[in-house]
Amino acid sequence: MSGIGATRQHKHHDPHAHVIHQPGRRLMHGVPLHFVWRKVAGHGNRGVNAALNLTAFIDFLITIVVFLLMSFSASGEIGVDKNIVLPQAQNVEAVIEAPMVAVNGNQVLVDGQLAGSVRAIEDMGRMQKIDELFDLLKRKRELWKSFHPNKPFPGVCILQVDENVPSLVVKSVFQTAAYAGYPNISFMVKKRGKPGG
Amino acid sequence: MGGVDVGTGDSGKRQTNAEINMIPFIDLLMVTISFLLITAVWVTFSRMNANAQIPGPPNPDKEVEPQTPEKILHLHIHEANFNLVWKQGSTVVSESTVTKPQGDVVYSELAKKLGEEWKVHGGHQDKSDKKIDQAVLHTDNSMPFKEVISVLDALYDTQREMAFPDGTVKKVPVFNMTFSVR
Repeated sequence: MSGIGATRQHKHHDPHAHVIHQPGRRLMHGVPLHFVWRKVAGHGNRGVNAALNLTAFIDFLITIVVFLLMSFSASGEIGVDKNIVLPQAQNVEAVIEAPMVAVNGNQVLVDGQLAGSVRAIEDMGRMQKIDELFDLLKRKRELWKSFHPNKPFPGVCILQVDENVPSLVVKSVFQTAAYAGYPNISFMVKKRGKPGG
Repeated sequence: MGGVDVGTGDSGKRQTNAEINMIPFIDLLMVTISFLLITAVWVTFSRMNANAQIPGPPNPDKEVEPQTPEKILHLHIHEANFNLVWKQGSTVVSESTVTKPQGDVVYSELAKKLGEEWKVHGGHQDKSDKKIDQAVLHTDNSMPFKEVISVLDALYDTQREMAFPDGTVKKVPVFNMTFSVR
């Protein structure tokens, strides 16, 4: 208590007390607005600029980029008729480059070009050769042979068949493709994961 | 932000801590992610092989040698069961039946039975054998295609090793399928 009284007494008697005092911060002294000066000079609350740690964010971005690059396929998407629901299977192989024959509930298409009617085959009630399909596939085979005269023709074509199309139609398309010079026929399916793996 | 600390720089020279501006780097990552997301193919399709079993044209210069017919598996798909018949020419070698599970699209019992049958009757089991046993599918005309694919899936479930000319050994299905034609 006596100490405080002594200090007060000393301040009172100091002739330079109004000019000499403990030095404070001198930076940002020229900021005219008082509340801004208080902020920038560090007298007010904590600063409004918060530093974000970007390391975790960049790690996250790099992980996504690596994942997407690994799952990236340069071969592009294979066009499937939007009216076709493909069946699912487990024991499958990768798709190869070959003519695509699409069979939906109504039509038979070769690379998007109309090549027959499903209804006509169903109405006949027996297996038959589809003439338009045969002509189109034969033309494709001849075109391939003219481009690759020294190579043996692989005879592969891929059937995109809707899961509800009856076997009669599938067998007719299968047989027609074989007659047209495509005996190695593949069925396009959606891959189903193995149970427990 | 990102920085490289290489000392305190006490010698009076300018600061040795360099600040790397990370904004362009983050921008690049964002653009790469956008590109990959836009071009990504989320649905992948696969294929299942079949063969029409069409013989090639005969070679008139080559004498045809009589060959013993191979055993062929005839798989009949009925309403309530599957009938597995191994035939050698017109002779029936073996016959068995597997009950069809109702409302199920995965025929695991059939796949198991086909594997067992192939081990007994399959004619091409050696690794160096390039041929594959044939299976002929007998289906009703009105059967939906998804059921045919389920049977085909069961047929291709059993696999064996096959040595290729380049020295690699790959697993291949033991059967090659074709449709029966009347």
